[in-house]
Order: sequence, then structure tokens, then C-alpha cells
Amino acid sequence: MKNPVRIKGTTSGLIIVIDEGLTFDEAKKEVKEKIITSAAFFGKGSFALAFEGKELTDAEKYELADIVTENSELNIVCITESRPEIEAHMKKALNDKLSAMEANTGTFYKGTLRNGQAIEFESSVVVLGDVNAGAQVVSKGNIIILGALYGNAFAGVGGRMNSFVAALNMNPAQIRIGDIIARSSDSIKKPDKTVEPKIAFCEDGNIYIEDISLDSLNDIKLD
Amino acid sequence: MGEVIVITSGKGGVGKTTTTANIGTGLAKLGKSVVLIDTDIGLRNLDVVMGLENRIVYNLVDVIEGTCRINQALIKDKRTPNLYLLPSAQTKDKTAVSPEQMKKLADELRENFDYILMDCPAGIEQGFKNAIAGATRALIVTTPEMSAVRDADRIIGLLEAAEMEKTELIVNRIRPDMVKREEMLSSEDVVDVLRIDLIGVVPDDENIVISTNKGEPLVGSDTMAGKAYLNICKRIMGEEVPWLDLYHKDGIMSKFASIFKKKN
Repeated sequence: MKNPVRIKGTTSGLIIVIDEGLTFDEAKKEVKEKIITSAAFFGKGSFALAFEGKELTDAEKYELADIVTENSELNIVCITESRPEIEAHMKKALNDKLSAMEANTGTFYKGTLRNGQAIEFESSVVVLGDVNAGAQVVSKGNIIILGALYGNAFAGVGGRMNSFVAALNMNPAQIRIGDIIARSSDSIKKPDKTVEPKIAFCEDGNIYIEDISLDSLNDIKLD
Repeated sequence: MGEVIVITSGKGGVGKTTTTANIGTGLAKLGKSVVLIDTDIGLRNLDVVMGLENRIVYNLVDVIEGTCRINQALIKDKRTPNLYLLPSAQTKDKTAVSPEQMKKLADELRENFDYILMDCPAGIEQGFKNAIAGATRALIVTTPEMSAVRDADRIIGLLEAAEMEKTELIVNRIRPDMVKREEMLSSEDVVDVLRIDLIGVVPDDENIVISTNKGEPLVGSDTMAGKAYLNICKRIMGEEVPWLDLYHKDGIMSKFASIFKKKN
């Protein structure tokens, strides 16, 4: 039998192809050997894992995933189904999982962001200061501004659509959540000084801005 | 040891050069020794505003390149003692000097003068970097227009990144009547956005146009702008000066009217 176990690497995931003729114990042994010999090739990284070929139970899949992580420096984030559109599927599953993990951790940024300054975070971010017109905050998770937002805030970059943007003084030029863009109205108004903290979120493909209340906070989903 | 102050704005045409000329003259009138440096190489005009254009022999680039000594290039002001101008070169461009060279020059001048004022060119490129290199204090000039405030904000960000020790704001060309009608940003509105210390508010005053054309700074004269500039000079020197009342200068009748209004 030639190559009873093959490992295919894609941009976001590993696909382990197991010959249907193998028993599970044989498969385990082959996978282990294969991983050990190719660990250096795959290096480090976070991946989604999928199986093709032999039918496996969930328990067996997890057992094989453990073998992969024990014998390499790979981090298996999740196990996905093997499907024809497997690549896209794995990529999405990986991104969703990673962004959910990132989005629920946060970073503090202290200081006012001025015109021309931009910060970008993999995680959610709390800005202690203003985001002035012409400045930009980008996050894969949520953005909370303990100050005024006059510039741009892009939350959920990478597609986490339940991300939100909150600010004590909400006067943004543009807010993006995932791939939805909302811009400020064209009517020129004097900056509102008696302001309520507000939150921007995405629902049915639209971005809404509401006063922060128990209701609006209850609607927030963190995963 | 003197203090090196850069006057900057980002946007052009908001009054950097006029401000530099007036503050420099004002500080000298208050008894300080002052050098004004025009760092706008290729587009010099501080010499024109000071009325010293015809006296230029050597310039900033000559000093940097070692063609002459600093003292040979410094032009003594024709009216105010202890006031000198180091003019810019007109036939060169901003790349003729580097920030390191400017810092060295500023440090040398600090030995002998109380204040060295750098008139910064508009923009954020080499000319700006040259002008701020030796400075420890920055005066941001803006007009009450959104575009100028935006640029000022950008400049403040760049100065923070360059670790400027002190950054203060001058709101230039305020028109109190328009502010009253809420057709113009007030100095408070500007401070609200920029959030730095306000050191002066200069009203829009046609005397400024007359004075810059004549080449005679009006600081200290009996005009609103002249008073405002002198107040800025005193604040630079650390004095507490009450703010000019720009909004009630109409005369006795309107003062009575406003008192009457308040009572009702």
C-alpha cells in the first residue's frame, strides 16, 4: 500500500487523507509517523483540521488531532467536516474560531488619536482618550472609546458581524462592522456637547446607533 | 539658557509668520533678547513682515553651510532693541538643511538669547521636521475653521510623537460677531477638539493687514490684535494675564444694554 496516510496543507487548514483500507490503530500509527517526519515542514501555526477517506467517529477524530498536536508545534483550533468546498469551509471555521477567541480578549490603548494616526488590533480594544477626525481604530473585535469618536472605527474586521463600537460621545465620520459601512449624515451640525454614551451594532445588514441601555447591552453577543 | 519655540500650524495661511513677527517683537519689547528664524527655505517672508527684506546679506543656509558666522547673518531689527532675524534662503529648498543641523544651530543660539522663535513652513515634510528639531515648546496657530483645526490636530499628533515638551494653542482670526451668531467656531470649540492649553486668542483685525504690508508688527499697539499678541508674550514668559473681552467692545451704550439684559 502506497501512502496509506497523506497530509494536505492548505492556507488555513490541514487535511489528513486516510486510506479506507486501514484499521483505526493502523491509521493512528501512520498519522503519527507522518506528522513526526513532516512537523518541521509545517512549522508553527494555528490550523483547522479535517479528514478525508476513511470514515471516522468524532472520538477517533479527536484522538488523531491529539496525536497531531503532541507530535508537532501545530495548534489545532477546530476539527471541521470534510466537504467538497472544504478549503473555504475550513478557512471560515478557522477564522470564526480565531476571531471569537481574539474578540473576547482586549487591549487598552491610552491616549488621544489625532488626525492621521491609526491603530490596529487583533483583539478588542478600549481607547482611553478621543479618536479625532481623521484618526482610525481598527479591531477584529469590539471597540470601546472612553472619550469622543469623531474619526473612523472599524470593528469586526475579518467578518465578526456581532462586533460593536461604543463611545461616550458618538460623532463618527464612519463606522464599519465587518463589511457593512455606515457614514455620518451630510448635514452639518455643531458638535453635540451634552452627549449620551452610544453603541453601534449591526443587525440585518444595517448599522444602528443607540443610547447605551440595559436593553442594548443585553443584545450584545460575545461569541 | 534660552528657550526655543516653534510656531507651526500644518495648514498654510493661518498666520504663522504674522504671529512669529508679533510675538518676537513683543517679547523683545518686554525686555527679552530674541532671535526669529525663518525656516521656510525657498518661500521666505518673515523678513517682509518684519520690514527687513532690504538688509539681508547672509541667510540660514549660509550659516548652516558655514559660509558665514551666525552673527554675520543675524539682522538687527530697525525698531526694537535685542531683536534679531535670521532670514531664510530664497534660492534653495528645504533639503538644504537637516534637523540635526537645525538643532545644533538652535542650541548655539540658546547660549546668548532668551527666546529663539522658529517660523515653521506649512506642511508636515522636511521643512516642518527642520523647524521642530531644536524646539522644546510649540505654539500651534489655527483659525476657527474645521480644515485648519484638522491640520492642527495632525500637527499635535506629530509633535507628541516627536516628544515636544510643551504644546500650546493660539486661535487666530476670531470674529466675535460671527461666533455670537454661531456661524464660527469659538475658541472653546477649538480647544474642545484639540484639548491642549490655550495661550492666546487673536481677533480678526484689519490693522494686521495694514501692519504686515508696512512691515511693522503691531504688538503692543492700541488695537485688539496688538493687545492680544502682547498678552500672549506675557503668558509665554509665565505671567498670568486675564483674557481680553473680545465680545463687548462696542461702546458704552451696548455695555449698558448688556447689563440691562442680564438683570432681566
